[in-house]
Amino acid sequence: MIAGEGALAGGGAGAAGPAAVASRVAPSDLTLSFVAEAAVRSVVAAAADPDWLVADRLAGLSAFEALPIETNPLYTTYVDLRNARLAAARPYTEPATAEPGAGAAKLLPEGAAAYAEIVEARVAALVLSAEARSAGVILETLADLRARNPELLRRLLEGGCALPENDKLAQMTRALWSGGLLIHVPDGVRLERPIVLRWAVGAPDTAIFARTVISMGEDAEVSVVEEQVSSGSAAGADGLQSQAFFAGTTEAVVGAGSTLSFAGLQDFSLRQVAFQHRSAVLKRGATVRWALAHLGSRVVRSRIDNRLDGDGSSVEQAEIVFGSADQLFDLTSYTRHVGRDTTGNLLSKGALADRSRAYMKGLATIDRSARGTDSFLGEFAMLLSKQARSVAIPSLEIDQPDCRRVAHASSVGPIDENQLFYLESRGLEPEEARRAIVLGYLEPVVARVPLESARDRLRELLEAKWDARPVARPTAAEEGA
Amino acid sequence: MATSSEIVSGEYKFGFHDEVDYLEETGHGLNRGTVEAISRFKNEPQWMLDFRLRAYAHYLSRPMPQWGGDLNQIDLDKIVYYRKPSEGEEKSWDDVPDKIKKTFERLGIPEAERKFLAGVGAQYDSEVVYHSVREELSKIGVVFMGTDQGLKEYPELFKKYFATVVPPEDNKFAALNSAVWSGGSFVYVPKGVEVPLPLQAYFRINAENTGQFERTLIIVDEGAKVHYIEGCTAPIYTTDALHAAVVEVIALPGAKVRYTTIQNWSNDVYNLVTKRAHAHANSTVEWIDANTGSRLTMKYPSIFLRGEGATAEVISVAVAGRGQHQDTGAKAIHLAPNTRSRIISKSISKDGGRTTYRGQLKVVPGATGVVASVRCDALLLDEGSRSDTYPYIDIQEDDTTMTHEATVGKISQDQVFYLMSRGLTENEATNLVVQGFLEVFTKELPMEYAIEFNRLVKLEMEGSLG
Repeated sequence: MIAGEGALAGGGAGAAGPAAVASRVAPSDLTLSFVAEAAVRSVVAAAADPDWLVADRLAGLSAFEALPIETNPLYTTYVDLRNARLAAARPYTEPATAEPGAGAAKLLPEGAAAYAEIVEARVAALVLSAEARSAGVILETLADLRARNPELLRRLLEGGCALPENDKLAQMTRALWSGGLLIHVPDGVRLERPIVLRWAVGAPDTAIFARTVISMGEDAEVSVVEEQVSSGSAAGADGLQSQAFFAGTTEAVVGAGSTLSFAGLQDFSLRQVAFQHRSAVLKRGATVRWALAHLGSRVVRSRIDNRLDGDGSSVEQAEIVFGSADQLFDLTSYTRHVGRDTTGNLLSKGALADRSRAYMKGLATIDRSARGTDSFLGEFAMLLSKQARSVAIPSLEIDQPDCRRVAHASSVGPIDENQLFYLESRGLEPEEARRAIVLGYLEPVVARVPLESARDRLRELLEAKWDARPVARPTAAEEGA
Repeated sequence: MATSSEIVSGEYKFGFHDEVDYLEETGHGLNRGTVEAISRFKNEPQWMLDFRLRAYAHYLSRPMPQWGGDLNQIDLDKIVYYRKPSEGEEKSWDDVPDKIKKTFERLGIPEAERKFLAGVGAQYDSEVVYHSVREELSKIGVVFMGTDQGLKEYPELFKKYFATVVPPEDNKFAALNSAVWSGGSFVYVPKGVEVPLPLQAYFRINAENTGQFERTLIIVDEGAKVHYIEGCTAPIYTTDALHAAVVEVIALPGAKVRYTTIQNWSNDVYNLVTKRAHAHANSTVEWIDANTGSRLTMKYPSIFLRGEGATAEVISVAVAGRGQHQDTGAKAIHLAPNTRSRIISKSISKDGGRTTYRGQLKVVPGATGVVASVRCDALLLDEGSRSDTYPYIDIQEDDTTMTHEATVGKISQDQVFYLMSRGLTENEATNLVVQGFLEVFTKELPMEYAIEFNRLVKLEMEGSLG
């Protein structure tokens, strides 16, 4: 850490890694020197993987090596990974299994049906409520599943599961994952209370690769709240040295008539880089609701793949970004309508302060088979500073004319002067009014978080980030350095 | 006047009987020698030859675009890059496909014009009109001539603006055009002059004929105003597989320029065109652009809003039928404060055709007070047709008001039902709905064009509904 701060002040002279070299870095260059067969082999050795899994990892590795950072030519001009300086990062290789005592009932938060807490590569809590357990719900680490039921693990993962084949970074996670969770909800089980997953990660120069697999039977219902925060060790300077890397997935297969509500809240520190892949395959009449809030990380690259296979299936997706400092949020979502009478309702909203940037890339594809589709894609941004930047690319590819509705919309602007005037006329101070408008603008996603405590927590985080904004303007760390 | 049966039976012969002194041709394919030969034929100054060679070098180094339409079928070695004066004289009316002959008839285009538009005849009647238009324009100081002629007669003005809006390095086909360009229009409108009538490339083409790599340069001086129209509503038949034009428009402070295109190439043409305008302070640039022909069109009329208070408007219409892909759109790049842009795109896909809207809206830091809007609507008339929308909205200035909306749908059955209940046939009703859908475009056309355009759309629609 001291070396890192020195490098920040001294222009990189004291740092060890090649990241300190002042040579020009192309936006698509990614300094991930550790992704190599040796790293895969050490993960394999630590976990004693079966042959099929070794082969699956190596397939992921060769796909990683063959693929460019962005395979979709629509988006190649909007890639910027220059602030992800991960040359010194090293992946955890030990499989993440539940620690002794992780199942203690007292660890279960109030109002939750199940709880998993991962601190760095340790599984500190993994606990199910009695109700969930008796209903046959499973929450366990992939490492434990590998020991308990290797055949089930194979059925779930072999062939890359729902990870996109053409995505370099998803294939990297397929090759190197060591942490991971399975959530299984059997047929007919409708859990009223949410399953809560909490990640506290970010030790300097580490890389975590974790998969979360959600398998839902028919007519089941579950909500999941995922909180991603910094571990204590991730605090400190906000320079580009000693970054920590998190590559995570959510891979959901949602059975006929089932409903998955997933709320994700990411509030890593500015010394962390997060790559996320979330995918959902929806069967007949299934519903998925994504509510995702991106607040933290220096660089976020997120991709969502929704595949509406089943007739009458529907996805509702709401994403918000609240950016400050020089954060970059690179968010892609692909929604493919395959079945008849499917619905896609996708909304992204960004509030961008300081020099933060958001790239919102959304593509809705309506296959020839997808009669009766209703698709809406909205990408909106509010720019709170002169240096902020918003890029929206809301795209459509349509092969079937017989749709209920296909539309997209986008708008970008500053805080609405009329709203500001109105609130000020009601007695609010200008700063209060601005705060109310921005937080109100982001509220639609907050309201979709299924657990009240998580909802409150998200509101608190948004408020804290807003309140910290003027202070953070020259970023304290940079000022100090 | 000849009857249509005479036309179809080929008894009615037009041809270039005059003004043809010699025929120069570079042969098939392209190499450095071809580029040098073109420059030599034209007796150009050294700087233009150097420019062509620089463009040619870039053309070679640049890969084919991997996005947009399918360009794999273009055989660049089969193309004759330069031919003078026109391939028209080598063709006869018999070579013109029946479909196009029939379209002429249905549109009610005069016989002589049909011959001209098909590239097999010269239209003598219009010569007179053309000359009178020229006289009137030169009285007020307007320059309107072929680009080659412009280079000879106005070398300084030409050199000052040529390739300043679209440099050869812009894209592969702009590089190709820059290397082998020939023909096109050169327009200069002096300070404060308002040209009362639209300048129609059609008239000029009569005299000179336009090649497949035409280069148009339009300079509108301070406070001047002009409307330029190219293309016709009838299909332009050509044996050339590739049309790669470059159009540069410079609107100096306070100028007002409107550029209207109705592109209806026959369905075997690859139409890869770079059109761009620089809009200086308080100027207005409008692209009114319709694409109904060609196999593949890739064309995104652009406006760089360089001066404070400039205004841009693009109205773009695309109709894609069987085997066609219209990959079109618009770009508005806001580089100065208090600039405004409005983009409206309407597309129709039918009989397996594909339309793509690809647009870019960019606001750079410091361009405060920008107001921009984009609206894209697409109609898909039948199964097997396809519509894509790819808008890029890149905003780097907080003091921006931008809205974008897009819808894709089919023809409203309620509207068709209502019209049928008022006594229209299904065909008529559908036509009327489509015409209403395109009205935002049609109403911007001079009346005679609007009438022809509506007829053309009606014709296309009849085809689709059997």
